[in-house]
Amino acid sequence: MAIAQGHVGHASAPPATHVPAGLAGWLSTVDHKRIGIIYMLAAFVFFIIGGIEALLMRVQLGTPENTFLTPDFYNQLFTMHGTTMIFLAVMPMNVGLGNYIVPLMIGARDMAFPRLNAMSVWLFILGGLMLYFSFFAGGAPNMGWFAYAPLTQKPYSPTFGVDYWILGLLLTGVASIAGALNFIVTILNMRAPGLSLNRMPLFVWMQLVVAFILVFAFPALTVAQIELLFDRHFGTRFFVPSQGGDAVLWQHLFWFFGHPEVYILILPVMGIVSETLPTFSRKPIFGYAFVAFSGVAIGFLGFLVWAHHMFGVGLGPLANAFFAGASFLIAVPTGVKIFNWIATMYDGALTLTTSMLYSIGFIAMFIIGGLSGITLASPPVDLQQTDSYYVVAHLHYVLFGGSILGLFAGIFYWFPKVSGRMLDERLGKVQFWLMMISFNVTFFPMHIIGTDGMPRRIYTYESGMGWDLWNLVATVGSFLMAASVLLFLWNLMVSLRRGAPAGNDPWDAATLEWSVSSPPPVHNFDQIPVVQSRRPLWDHKYPEHAGDDHGAAAPDPLLAGFEQPAIHLPSPTYNPLILGVGLTTLFFGILYSSIPPLSISLAIAGLALVALAIVGWVRDSHKDSPYAAH
Amino acid sequence: MGTRHRPSVRGMLFAALAFGALALAGCSTLPASTLDTYGDHARRIYELLVPIAWMALAVFLVVEGALIYTVLRYRRRAAGTMPRQVHGNTKVEIMWTIAPALIVVIISVLTFRTQAANSQMPADALQVRAIGHQWWFEFRYPEQGAELDPADCTKSDPKECPKRADLVTASDLYIPVGRPVTVQLEAADVMHNFWVPKLAGKTYMIPGKINYLTFTAEQAGIYRAVCAEFCGEAHALMRFRVIALEQAEYDSWVAQHRVAPVIGGNGVLGGDPNRGKELFLNARNLCITCHVIDGTGAKGIVGPNLSYYGSRQTIAAGIMPYSPENLERWLKHGYELKPGNLMSRVLTRDWIAANLTDQDIKDLVAYLDSMKVSIASPPAR
Repeated sequence: MAIAQGHVGHASAPPATHVPAGLAGWLSTVDHKRIGIIYMLAAFVFFIIGGIEALLMRVQLGTPENTFLTPDFYNQLFTMHGTTMIFLAVMPMNVGLGNYIVPLMIGARDMAFPRLNAMSVWLFILGGLMLYFSFFAGGAPNMGWFAYAPLTQKPYSPTFGVDYWILGLLLTGVASIAGALNFIVTILNMRAPGLSLNRMPLFVWMQLVVAFILVFAFPALTVAQIELLFDRHFGTRFFVPSQGGDAVLWQHLFWFFGHPEVYILILPVMGIVSETLPTFSRKPIFGYAFVAFSGVAIGFLGFLVWAHHMFGVGLGPLANAFFAGASFLIAVPTGVKIFNWIATMYDGALTLTTSMLYSIGFIAMFIIGGLSGITLASPPVDLQQTDSYYVVAHLHYVLFGGSILGLFAGIFYWFPKVSGRMLDERLGKVQFWLMMISFNVTFFPMHIIGTDGMPRRIYTYESGMGWDLWNLVATVGSFLMAASVLLFLWNLMVSLRRGAPAGNDPWDAATLEWSVSSPPPVHNFDQIPVVQSRRPLWDHKYPEHAGDDHGAAAPDPLLAGFEQPAIHLPSPTYNPLILGVGLTTLFFGILYSSIPPLSISLAIAGLALVALAIVGWVRDSHKDSPYAAH
Repeated sequence: MGTRHRPSVRGMLFAALAFGALALAGCSTLPASTLDTYGDHARRIYELLVPIAWMALAVFLVVEGALIYTVLRYRRRAAGTMPRQVHGNTKVEIMWTIAPALIVVIISVLTFRTQAANSQMPADALQVRAIGHQWWFEFRYPEQGAELDPADCTKSDPKECPKRADLVTASDLYIPVGRPVTVQLEAADVMHNFWVPKLAGKTYMIPGKINYLTFTAEQAGIYRAVCAEFCGEAHALMRFRVIALEQAEYDSWVAQHRVAPVIGGNGVLGGDPNRGKELFLNARNLCITCHVIDGTGAKGIVGPNLSYYGSRQTIAAGIMPYSPENLERWLKHGYELKPGNLMSRVLTRDWIAANLTDQDIKDLVAYLDSMKVSIASPPAR
């Protein structure tokens, strides 16, 4: 046994595989844990940038007829804010947490495709950087994150902004689809012996559902974006109504992706609180199967409701009625989840840690977002509320009050596992209450101004509409939210250096990731665990309180003879990063198709890098050397 | 606001109980409130929203109450307490699966009823076309305008020849009170969205597609309206007004408007309307490249029809109330009052400085202001 465990702050390197030190080690890493950290750090940086964009908009809207921002820059900001928060902040934060935690939860040594995993994280970052490069290349996209046709066509959007939006997101789209396939294969194939789907932690369940949603939803966006790219660069007319194209087609394609995307953002977070609530209640999740399958139901129904974003488009009362009915139906599995979470806490022994507070805050705010969603799902009511600030309120209750509060719950929960140190609880609780109050001060008034007729996406408004006061209140609230995020950043930096050592299992939790050191060794598990129940670690610690609905867990005799496999770890490689850089270079070449010499040289350079990386990648697999831990 | 004031008791309860958004707005006379309705379409939406909001409020209270109770009740157990390890209960699960399903069924039925009522298009409705442009609204009243000479008609079947031309306005939509109006919604460039919060819900204006929206104004008034779909740089400044007139007043408006405007009065702001007209019609000054004024040589098709401009409610698609002074500001500083507007792309600051004197602009204002329709203005709602 060559692996030393339990040393806070530095993981032991496996003896047979050389991991470069410092930055080189991070750039060439194929370790799911390091990749997860890169995902989360990058997502956090984009979250801060998206937040700054929001603050600028709130300053502009704080008073009527304000001239702080020009109209065009304001339009760039709301486009980038939406795009950033969805594609570059919340999604990758979920993916990063999943990357780090899922293999540990299922008793695996890594993701199924470690090099593909590295490619995904680099493509996500490069896609985000490419999108942001547009600010320095003639202006960021300014047509809204939904990019409705035909405003996106060259005559109406002559800058390169739309092209940066298309190509940057295509890169992140490749990352997402590759990542989703990686999750599916990992979760379906690499679970520890005995860890049947029926015993799988709910966080892993939700990551699996999300991976499937991604694989089915993202291609619709990719197709739409490529068609739009061809419209703008190569003379096709998919979305040009005056030449036989169809502007509504874009909306169908976009929302066929766009609505499932909402569940891509929220389901992993539902998975997070399905872990934190039982842990901090010292009880098993109430109704495990109902919580898991309501997640599956939400994922499935999510594909049948896209046109509720299009009630005003004129699809006809019958079509609207169908999509309204399907949208209402989603309230049922969502309600089931909420009731089960409350029942999990009921009669429990609650420990109100920061993570638990955020989990409870998530439920409380998500209920409000769900209820305002009911009114929006009713087509007649939607016709008054859509495209007004009511929708802005609704979506932020779901995506901030839901996703981001839930992500804070997950970050406070797993930070000790990732870093080996505890986040400061007192700072955390102050930050939680500041966040809860300021979040509501910011977004609740938007229900009111929306109902009072304030449209979305306007950079200015008249005084005397009854909107002045609430807009000012929202602006004040947004800066308090920023203060809360700064407090978290402070907590993060202080705790990384001086936080209390976490130990393996600081929360007295139930799942496998808490059975290994914090941070875990490179190979995760010295011995692949054999799982007998839904709460392997809990049952190990509290055998007298073990078991599930079907009685106490009995060792499966077939598992007793399980032969430990040799530890097989992939070697570090730069090829995924090179491939990402090559693809990005190629995409720049496509973007500047109107300048042939530049375009062709970029495309050739990009393709050469891609080819180089693929050849190297194929050879990489021969370098992997298994080493024995016994 | 008179008889349509919403009960404030209901409103205060809403507000106190965190669904206050809806009611706070409902107690107001705010210019664009969706709860202060004067049209049947918007009223039926409001009447659907109320029961949904009550049900939502009930669910909110029950679920948040259960959550808060649970947290407060079980937060202070002694350290090391081992609660009973309950894994679930199928009966309870079935119960709380059915409960939301029942609520959803009720809401669906209410929704479908309102949908049916709001999608009716009575045959006797007044037909109007609304066309969205970047960044203003054009309104066409088919066969309400000037009489046409049958000799000009080129159709093979004389029965198909329209007797009258379209009557055309911009930024102001005139409708009669008490009669259903079917607005045929179109877009000239990108998507727009037609929204008169106090009269009806939104409907998209989509290039290459025609949508219809039918509503009846229940009281005379001037109603605020906007483009609700992001449509480019000046989207925030794309507004219009709906002017609902009693039928007799409406008929008078149509009768006046279908006659080509003539100059009336001696001019405002010290301008000479006759000289202003000459300037306007002089091709060098570019006005007639885009604009129409009925009965003159101004026959542009790109910009708004400026006939009877002196009776406009607002200037430049609702960015400021109509007054000769504001019109003068608009003609001088359009590029900064409405950034991105297409007129200022041609009539730039430099172009105006080089081609129009201050007196020229005063004359143009005097001319545009001199064309007025005489009707009693209804109250602003």
